[in-house]
This record gives sequence, structure tokens and C-alpha cells, in this order.
Amino acid sequence: MANRRQLVRRRRSVRNIRKITRTMQLISTARFQKALNRATATKPYARKLADMVTAASRAVQDVRQPLLETPDVNKSALIIITSNRGLCGGYNANVLRTAMAVTRERREAGESVELHAYGKKGVNYLRFMDEPLTVASSAIGDQPRFEQVAAVADSLMTAFAKGALRSVDVCYMRFISAGVQRPTVMRLLPLTNVEDEGEAAAAAAEPQRDIVFDYLPGPKELLEELLPATVRMRLFQCFNDAAVSEQVARMVAMKAATDAAGDMIRILTQQYNRARQTAITMELLDIIGGVAAIS
Amino acid sequence: MVADKTFTCTVLTPERRVLETAATFAAVPAFDGEVGIMHDRAPLLCRLGVGILRLDTPQGAQRIFVDAGFAEMLDNKLTVLTEQAAFAKDVDVEAERAAEAAARSRHAKTPEEQAARQHEMTRAATKLKLAAGS
Repeated sequence: MANRRQLVRRRRSVRNIRKITRTMQLISTARFQKALNRATATKPYARKLADMVTAASRAVQDVRQPLLETPDVNKSALIIITSNRGLCGGYNANVLRTAMAVTRERREAGESVELHAYGKKGVNYLRFMDEPLTVASSAIGDQPRFEQVAAVADSLMTAFAKGALRSVDVCYMRFISAGVQRPTVMRLLPLTNVEDEGEAAAAAAEPQRDIVFDYLPGPKELLEELLPATVRMRLFQCFNDAAVSEQVARMVAMKAATDAAGDMIRILTQQYNRARQTAITMELLDIIGGVAAIS
Repeated sequence: MVADKTFTCTVLTPERRVLETAATFAAVPAFDGEVGIMHDRAPLLCRLGVGILRLDTPQGAQRIFVDAGFAEMLDNKLTVLTEQAAFAKDVDVEAERAAEAAARSRHAKTPEEQAARQHEMTRAATKLKLAAGS
């Protein structure tokens, strides 16, 4: 008898959990749409900025910029973007595994690595691993605002331009499509292939042509402003990508949890029915046995 | 007539597309003063300061606050990239007054701090000007 009660109780709790996970799945689907829209909205700005960088750097003969050079120091920084909230499957674990692999590799090569953790999950994990964190922040969240990210980028650029860091990389979950996200380490500083993004788009649209721009002030001065803007924008896109990937991961995880709960309920129902049937049969046998004994 | 000839003007921030409209004339707040732009202007790439972008569109005049950035005029397409843009109706007058006062009363010791303070003051003052002017 106790067994049946237990089965009923378990089935009820699994059903409640399923309600929660299903709701979370719906919520993260809606949030995913929003995050994706936000991430897509950053594209025109990024593309135009890359175009401008291309135009300006064509006009400058030798592009020598502190943001493009590698200083001769043995220290680099790694930005790790994780989520503030859990229940998103392997999302954070994947990012952190990649980040730790890179860190270990660099340390073995004799380089010291500063870790900048954004997102509560990453901060907690790295603290648990006894890693010293240069930055531990959970302020940015899943709706990154440009000012927040720009401030982060500015402080990194200052450190980099001073020659305190050899390179700055970002480890985040890159959003490739709704089905594919990959933990990626992207080089933020020194800036690389500044012209690629814009040129690829331009080359697809029309054959290259030489445009003579009026530059105000000069192409060199423009570039001095355009490059930091590019760095800020790239970092902002990383945070946006991470936010989209987080929602996808949560969606997938919650779908799996809902499905698993459904399976579990089916099995529990079956067990319960079987237990009930056994009990009835037992009672019937008791009664029949009793009647047989009397007559 | 010259005024009939329009070009496209797009204002972009990292977060969104603020505006896309046809315009007959634009006064762009460059870093050292305003640059006027009309149909068929030669290609231009310029750095912006803090200021107000003024547009004459077939639907009427438009005024938008821009917080530095870049502008490009190419093939009758004017693209303004800025890190922050706002229409007059979006300006929170109280908040901007407070921001300006805070910046004004702050002590700036290094040249960088001085520049940041100046920037904040100009930004707040420009926003207030935009809000008052409409």
C-alpha cells in the first residue's frame, strides 16, 4: 500500500517539475527571439564601421597603430563570458572548459594569463578552482547594453596600449545558427583582419572600385578613432552572441527536461497501475480464500 | 528644383537603427563644426563631435542628438554611426540637468578626467538644448 502512495506522490512532483520546465522553455523561446533581434540589430553598424575602416586604411600608407601591434610582454588577458543564470545545459561548462584549456596551454608556454570573468556562473566556477580573477562581474547579464561593454573595452584598450598586455582574447559561445553554437576564443587585441568583414560584404555586392573620399580630419586621425570603435563593437557583438547562445542552450535543455519528465510520468503511471492491479488481485484472492474456508 | 532631390539618411547605433529617411539637406555635427550635405555630395568620411544632427526631409525637419561617431556620404547615402542617439522627446530633462551639475561639480585631476568631464558636460548641455529647442 505504501508503495502506491509513494508512486502517486512521485508522479505528482514530476508533473509539477514538467510544468516548470515547459514554462521555462516557452520563456526562453521568447527571450531567444528578442536576443536574436538585438544581435541582428548590431549588424548594420558593425558592417558600416568595417567599411569605413577599410576606406580609411586604404588612404593611409603605413598603418602603425598601438592597437595593431603586439607589445613585448609575457602577459595576456582572457575574457570569459558565461551566463548569470543556470538551467541551460552544458552552456557554461562548454565555455569554461575551452577557456581553461587555453589558459593551461598558455601557462605551459610560460605566459601569465589574467582572467576576466563576466557572468555569475563563470565567476563561481573559477573561484571554486582557486583561480585569481582580475575582473569578476555579473553586471552585464543577458541584455548587454553598449555603454557597459564599451567601458569594459576602453579599460582593456588602455591597458593594452600601455603595453601591459600582450594580447586580449574573448572566450564565449559563438552563435552560428539556432542549431549550432560553438565555444570560441576570439582575438580582440591586437586587432586583426580589420578589413575582412567589410570587404567581404563589399566584394559580394560590387566589384572593387577606388573611391576618393574627403576625409575630415585626415584618414590617419580617423583611423585612430575608428579602430577603438571597432574593438568596442566586436566585444559588444561577443556579448550579444553569448546572450543568444545562452537562450538557445536553455531552450534545448528545457525541452529535453520536459520530454524526460513526460517519459518518467508514463513509466510511473504504468508502475502505479500495475501495483494497483496487484493489490486488487491480492484482495480478491483473500476474499475467495476466505469464502472457500467457510463453506 | 534642387530641393526635390533627396538622398537617404541612416542613423545607426550599435544597438539599433535609429532612423532611415529621405532627406534634402543634412547638417552633420563634425568634430570641428557643422558640415552641410546635399544631394550628390562628393564622397565624405568624417568624424563627429557631440552635437545635433539636423535634417530637412520631405516630411519636415528632424533633429537628433548624436554623441560623437562617424558619418559617411557615398552614392547619395548618408550613414551616421554614433554610440548614442536621441530624439528630443527621448531626452530626460531632469536626468540631464543632474548629469550636467554632477559633471560640473566634479574635480578633474588628470587631463583624461578633464576631457571626460568636459565631454559629459557638453553632452548634457547639448541634449538640453535639443529638448528645449523643439
